[in-house]
Amino acid sequence: MEKTLTNGMTLLMVERHDDPSIAGGWVAHVGSANESPGITGIAHLFEHMMFKGTTTIGTTDYAKDFEILARQEKIRDEMRAEESKMRSAWRRGGVDDWQKPENWTPHYRELQKQFQELVLEERKLIVKNEIWKLYQANGGNGMNAFTMDDMTAFHVGVPANKLELWMWMESERIFHPVFREFYAERDVVFEERRMRYDSTPLGPSAQAFNAMFWQSLPYSWPTIGWPSDISSISKPQADAFHALFYSPQNITLILVGDFNPDKVAAMAEKYFGRIPRAKNNPPDLVTTEMTQSVEKRMNAEVAANPQVDIMWHTVPFAHKDSYPLQILAQLLSTHTGRLYKGLVLGSGVATDISASQNSQKWAGWFDISGEAADGHTPEEVEKGIYAELEKLKHDPVPPEELQKVKNNFAADQYRQLNSNQNILQNLIWNDGEGDWREINAAQPKLEAVTAADVLRVANEYFKKDNRAVAIFTRKPETAPAESK
Amino acid sequence: MKTFPLLILTAALIAPFHIVRAAVIVDRPEKLSFPPLKYDAPVPDQYRVQLKSGPVVYIVPDHERPLVNVTVYVRTGKYLEPAGKEGLAELTGWLLTHGGAGTNSAAQLEERVAFLGAQLESSIGDNQGSVGLNLLSKDTDAGLGLLRDVLYAPRFQDDKIALRKQQTLQAMKQRNDDSSAIEDREADFLAHGENFWANRYSTSNSLDSITALDIEKFHYAWFWPSNFVVAITGDFERDAMIAKLEKLFAGGPENVPMDHLVAGGTPPPIPTNIVFAAPGVYLVNKPEVDQGRVSLMLPGIQRGNPDYYAVVIMNNILGGGGFTSHLMNRIRSDEGLAYSVYSSFVPGVYYPGTFTIGFQSKSRTVAYACAIALEETKRMSAQPVSDAELNLSKKSIIEGFPNFFNTKEKIVEQFAMDEFTGRHAKDPQFWQNFRAKIAAVTDQDVLRVAKKYLTPDKFAVLVVGNQTDILLGYPTHPVDLKTLFGTFHEWPLRDPLTMQPLPPAK
Repeated sequence: MEKTLTNGMTLLMVERHDDPSIAGGWVAHVGSANESPGITGIAHLFEHMMFKGTTTIGTTDYAKDFEILARQEKIRDEMRAEESKMRSAWRRGGVDDWQKPENWTPHYRELQKQFQELVLEERKLIVKNEIWKLYQANGGNGMNAFTMDDMTAFHVGVPANKLELWMWMESERIFHPVFREFYAERDVVFEERRMRYDSTPLGPSAQAFNAMFWQSLPYSWPTIGWPSDISSISKPQADAFHALFYSPQNITLILVGDFNPDKVAAMAEKYFGRIPRAKNNPPDLVTTEMTQSVEKRMNAEVAANPQVDIMWHTVPFAHKDSYPLQILAQLLSTHTGRLYKGLVLGSGVATDISASQNSQKWAGWFDISGEAADGHTPEEVEKGIYAELEKLKHDPVPPEELQKVKNNFAADQYRQLNSNQNILQNLIWNDGEGDWREINAAQPKLEAVTAADVLRVANEYFKKDNRAVAIFTRKPETAPAESK
Repeated sequence: MKTFPLLILTAALIAPFHIVRAAVIVDRPEKLSFPPLKYDAPVPDQYRVQLKSGPVVYIVPDHERPLVNVTVYVRTGKYLEPAGKEGLAELTGWLLTHGGAGTNSAAQLEERVAFLGAQLESSIGDNQGSVGLNLLSKDTDAGLGLLRDVLYAPRFQDDKIALRKQQTLQAMKQRNDDSSAIEDREADFLAHGENFWANRYSTSNSLDSITALDIEKFHYAWFWPSNFVVAITGDFERDAMIAKLEKLFAGGPENVPMDHLVAGGTPPPIPTNIVFAAPGVYLVNKPEVDQGRVSLMLPGIQRGNPDYYAVVIMNNILGGGGFTSHLMNRIRSDEGLAYSVYSSFVPGVYYPGTFTIGFQSKSRTVAYACAIALEETKRMSAQPVSDAELNLSKKSIIEGFPNFFNTKEKIVEQFAMDEFTGRHAKDPQFWQNFRAKIAAVTDQDVLRVAKKYLTPDKFAVLVVGNQTDILLGYPTHPVDLKTLFGTFHEWPLRDPLTMQPLPPAK
């Protein structure tokens, strides 16, 4: 059930009385695609900051806290000026890495010390992670949040009788957030970046490949942000970001579970309806992806088995061609799909291979990646992939094969709705990408795809000039002894 | 097919006059009052059926969606692999659903499953196997037929054995590529010893030596109905499904291998001869990563230990409770040294578990974060936790209790696992009593188990990362990792194909 609050906030409700619990979440229609150079990663950092409290949660004395925060920012202004000087020294080769503590200027060290003293002063007032405490003491569970290119979402499960707690907590943190411990949290995010990307075998090259694929669209930078930006984003920038994108008209509330929708609607109006509508709607993303005109290729030596990854520009969320492209991806994927049969079981050039169509709010892409079998090269896998695609460009898919793929989509639509949490996650994702109604509308459109549609999109999108290819080979020094 | 009941769209604007502007919003959530919610834990025996054909089944219908979901747990595992045949259990597990079954060749079986839009999956892990089927309820009979074939008449086609061996060998080559994989593996070596059965890894030689006959014998030895425990939910009538399951499981493996072993017996008990490493730091050098991965380990407890409930609370407060825990507050929120930091004190089912504190931090702050973890561990056994902390921890576990069972699948899978691991037989009231036992834990209980189990002089600490930078430390917080936990050892990587220790990386 969908309702619109008086301030423009959207409310979605799904009643399920199976279990005395409610999965509650909300999605803000803002993600890393809404950032700009210099503040990449701010949408995600902002997600972290939303757990730091409000004017009444997370502190014993808001007035004093506010005053310390202001003093902290003054020192940070000075530190930023000093950072600018250190960056300049680095550009001229004066230091190898200005972020290394040994390379800090004496003045910067002094400012660090002063800032640290204020952190300790503020800590006396801070009630640590109080949002978590309040939820946990009331049976809240699975509390988390995530940020993607197009959305930022927050979700938690609560016992059915604690609905009003959710209303109170979530409306408070949208309405009155306070970004405490901002700079320590920036370091946390940097550790997250190291854990997820920098310290993994394929993380660095995958980011390079993604940045090569997208030319103009802001999907080119990673949601976690560039390292230089993560360590430079300021609290004032985060405040401005909140004001611009966390307005009621840009947020959808979603509740799934054991409740009475009329009561929920009234309660939502009471709590969330009090947040004033912003004068201006958040700006639309006007940058579109440049039409690719040449094939792009990347060669990467990595600590991993040899493999190939190919991406083609396709279509965004709910585009009419996204359905035949999804069918096409499924025809190619799984152990009974064409790529596995052709390249793993058939020619034996690959050990594993998969394909996917990914449609997001502003653009989409098709991806095929495969690992080369010992004695074969990623280029052979690449060739084999093109050969399978050529068949799809010339011969219509046999009816039985098409039906097999459709049967999978039909069963999957039920599988992904097996709990309050999963239904919530599906609604969040669909709403975040453009329209929650796709959760019901997509299936008939997939069902209606014909062999001619598949043939058409195969010819339309799988062109040489429209693709980027990454060839990964193993760094020689990481090869096991026997196969060197 | 049923109509899809999920979302009915009604777009409406709530008119302003409906709003009660006088509605007062309290300034603190403690001032809210909530209607009572009584929750009774589900009772295992309401779901439990002993089939005449052998297996115990936990069953519950669920008509919300037109699906059936069944999992068969099997008493088998890696621990039963003959020496020199490491990799046999995993290979057998995969081949059940990928090597053909009954009258279907591998290709026919996979095509049939795909055409039904079904999922049919199998695996064999350390000490259990499982075969799972999920499909539309209209196809139940066809699906159960395939499931029976997979359990009792797998074909283990030669070409599929060769394929899986090749895939496994290639996956082996990546054993040293990801620092988290190295950490998981070496942590087990430190916690259980070089010669513990779970640390006998497949090698290129052991894989090579596995024959089709080995696989057939391994299957034939253990895939008997008396070794099955089953969980099933979905769109069916209970009694009718029980009758179907009786038929499904009746009998046993149909193809008897040449020179077959005695079959159908109960597997021998799981060996428990673990050897915990001597205290100290064990550092695996991985020069190319900029973040160190750390596991601080101590010997843990086994299920049935009367200290269990106090340990749960103690661990929750120290590092198991997420954002309200001491470790998270200090290492992440205060200092920004890690994204993920936790402690885990899961009791072992068959032998004592391991108490672990884990985090990842940039190379140069690894030692500093270790020092904080050590300090927080000591603090737990130096003073009682506050009443506020104790109560929060208890409430979070007690109030969050219904989530153990918030879907029908979770109910039957939890109870099936309890049956499988023997908890249902030993402690049938476990879930009924759980909340009361948690509620009874006192601050003195927490202090007592902290003193008993959090023994900082026994920490075996595994670090995987850039050795030079990790030992360099951080100038504003200098900590000597070489002496922090007593001794210091450079811990070698292993050759991924032989698992023999490698000379140190340069």
